[in-house]
Amino acid sequence: MSLVSVQGLFVVYEPQGALPVPAVRNVSFDLEQGDFVGLVGESGSGKSTLGFALTGLSKPPARVSAGSILFDGVDIAGMTPAQLRVQRHGGFAMVLQSGMNALNPVRSIRDHFFDIFTAHGHVSKRDREARAIELVGKVELPASVLDRFSGELSGGMRQRVSIALALSLEPRLMVFDEPTTALDVLVQHAVMDTIRELQKSEKFTAVLISHDLGMVLEVTERVMVMHDGLVVEDALAAEILAAPQHPYTRMLLSHYGDPRAAVVEVPGLAARGGDRATDVAVAAAGNAPVTVTGDTLDTLEPVAAPAAPPASTVRRREGRAAREAIVVTNVSKIYQRPSRGEEPVCAVNNVSFTLEPGASMALVGASGSGKSTIAKLITGVERPTSGSITFGDLQIDTIKRRQLKRLHTEVQMVFQDPYAALNPLHTVEYILTRPILNFSRLRGRDARARVLELLETVGLTPVEQFAARLPHQLSGGQRQRVVIARALASDPQVIIADEPVSMLDVSLRAGVLALLDSLRETWGVSMLYITHDLLSARLVTDQIMVLNSGAVVEEGRTADVLQNPQDEYTIRLLEAIPHPTVGGLVQS
Amino acid sequence: MTPTRTIIPPTSIVKTMSPGDHAGTANPLRVLWRAFATIWSVPKARIGVAMLGVFVLVAIFAPLLAPYAATDNSFGRSEDMSAAHWLGTTAAGQDVLSQLIYGARVSVFVGFVAGLLSTIIAVLIGLSWGYLRGFAGEVINFIVNLFLVIPALPLMIVIAAYLQNGGIGMIVLVVVITGWAWGARVLRSQTQSLRSRDFVTAAIFSGESPSRIVFREILPNMTSLIVGSFFGASTAAILAEAGLEFLGLGDSTTVSWGTMLFWAQNSNALLTGQWVLLFAPGLCISLLATSMSLINFGVDGLSNPRLREGAKR
Repeated sequence: MSLVSVQGLFVVYEPQGALPVPAVRNVSFDLEQGDFVGLVGESGSGKSTLGFALTGLSKPPARVSAGSILFDGVDIAGMTPAQLRVQRHGGFAMVLQSGMNALNPVRSIRDHFFDIFTAHGHVSKRDREARAIELVGKVELPASVLDRFSGELSGGMRQRVSIALALSLEPRLMVFDEPTTALDVLVQHAVMDTIRELQKSEKFTAVLISHDLGMVLEVTERVMVMHDGLVVEDALAAEILAAPQHPYTRMLLSHYGDPRAAVVEVPGLAARGGDRATDVAVAAAGNAPVTVTGDTLDTLEPVAAPAAPPASTVRRREGRAAREAIVVTNVSKIYQRPSRGEEPVCAVNNVSFTLEPGASMALVGASGSGKSTIAKLITGVERPTSGSITFGDLQIDTIKRRQLKRLHTEVQMVFQDPYAALNPLHTVEYILTRPILNFSRLRGRDARARVLELLETVGLTPVEQFAARLPHQLSGGQRQRVVIARALASDPQVIIADEPVSMLDVSLRAGVLALLDSLRETWGVSMLYITHDLLSARLVTDQIMVLNSGAVVEEGRTADVLQNPQDEYTIRLLEAIPHPTVGGLVQS
Repeated sequence: MTPTRTIIPPTSIVKTMSPGDHAGTANPLRVLWRAFATIWSVPKARIGVAMLGVFVLVAIFAPLLAPYAATDNSFGRSEDMSAAHWLGTTAAGQDVLSQLIYGARVSVFVGFVAGLLSTIIAVLIGLSWGYLRGFAGEVINFIVNLFLVIPALPLMIVIAAYLQNGGIGMIVLVVVITGWAWGARVLRSQTQSLRSRDFVTAAIFSGESPSRIVFREILPNMTSLIVGSFFGASTAAILAEAGLEFLGLGDSTTVSWGTMLFWAQNSNALLTGQWVLLFAPGLCISLLATSMSLINFGVDGLSNPRLREGAKR
């Protein structure tokens, strides 16, 4: 008999004062003891809802409305909380995405383990300490973490602790809900390895919920793809990789590529190889030293559009291509710790580069590498400790508040989180009208015409309808387009995009990236693209700088650096990317 | 400036989002209407709204409801309850029920005006305090801490004693001076948390001025907190007004629940067996304060949907 048998499961959300929304529709599957199954889908596909239902954690307004979840022959869908609590010992456990924030900050890690031992009484008082040490050992942590508090541990360590806590009841089913999404790229890889090892050695049944099909294919044996509440494909990982049946699976798969390949292609974006006109142009200019502070404006013409531009709504802007370069010279930024005795943090260490007009440069690195700090320094939000940053005649490192507005007419920013970057109470039209009123002389009818033009530029049509919407009426991708439109409203020369697609679903990423790419090529804006995602960097940029703890470790043409990385850190970043199509098969 | 919003009848608000509707911001009326619906959906708050509504109606229509004029002292003194005087008469020969009904006017008026004024001051100071950094913030910090640290009642008594018998205006002033600091502190911390949000940074990139960022970007996101602090301030104002008048620091010739208590105490109403004289205004004061507190249960649901009652099914 299967360990878990789900039959015709329906889960609905019944919010107060709104129509019920089905989140999981007619899902049936079986899990055998020791299976490692991936559950993949984009946001809103119902994958987490299903995970919560599997572990008896469905909370109002979610409700299991039909079907059964047999765990070891017992239906858990209809259990009371008290019955469920008993079931959890030797039953099922869940590790959450924010599991690392689930630790109580005023209690030591040891207390967390002892709480569980006390609640279930399955470990005698004498054995507690040994058992706790054994558990943290399983997730590759030293016994000394038991004395620590969650605030003293890094994100990866906290997530390991929460996995160990979930293990403490010897569950036969573990559900991992995006266990590594909130972690840094390099740490993600290590935690995922731990999970894989654990699953092999402990032989529990594991369900790995993730939006990242690449990672799931790499670590699991069987994959279920969810779309719109339905399981659209359920097959072995190798089968999905070799012959995906459902068009949705194929679409998801098509968005993976190897940034190291000679030619990288993703649907909706022009292929990036070594033979493109743009690459040649940049390569020619790129041979000159890039870090010099001298005025190299003449050496690089605004990048010419490719012979056959992709179908885009972006119109060429007349005579407004970027003219000035951002020149960063020997910039360092040191943050003083608020408490005495601690070493100051050097976020940016002696970085120099020039962002040529019309060029696109990627700034890549893991979190804490100082890439976002550089964005803050360039936009005048923070001031460097030493070094100089200039844009045209503006000295950004010592900029006055009054000049800041002038800087922002030319240098604009696209934010990482489209859900936080738009005021939830303002309509799209208001959001776009404000920079137009502040930065241009357009008023009234003209300003409105400009708003509609911007919306058309970013592909939000019909424009009249989108202008009247509030942010919550837009999807993530549409919001990010509004954020981009706002950045364009002042008609800037430079756009700084800080992880513009990291919060978006895979299928939406290509669209936003294509928009940014065509903006650069047809509008002639320069772009500084900040990311940890090397694939997207490869797709939209010509030059790349790799940052490690504030210092530049490698730079050059994107294609060259990624195909032929020299620095060990770059190689590690490249290896952390899941390669379902290439590396996954090699590794497994 | 802070928008002091007035409540508009719902009929003009029920309007769906049409594609052609291009208002600059989310219609504040619609936001208010939704806020009211949320408050109404909480049973406790519904009771509070009903109670408050009764008090407001009584205050407005006092001349129609009261059987006699409030200052008419032509009746027998210290009479017991009777058909002519449901709650008896005072030691000065006034009808207690009429006084009670007229007294609602002062309490409701002071509650709303003093609550509103101290909320406005709290909003202005709290928001700019939360947004400013550096020296200016430190100065405001010092002033607010000063007001928070001085015990409110003694301060009120001292100020009221200086402004001898100034009437209701004086009481409103005293309540406002002593009542804004707490709200300012709460609003400041919320402002500080909102100012680090991306949309505020984005507004700076859009070239917005600091005052516009504070009042158009940040303020609308704390409506529920402001409404909550208004009801809190009103409750405090009603209690403070009654307290000051009971101590004889107000104008003892006005008719209010506080002065009724004052006179009842002066005429030893309890010793003469006229407990209603103390009980009735006391009950009214506590009911009015209770209604405000009950409404605040609903306001909690506004700011945090998880606190909405009935969410647990």
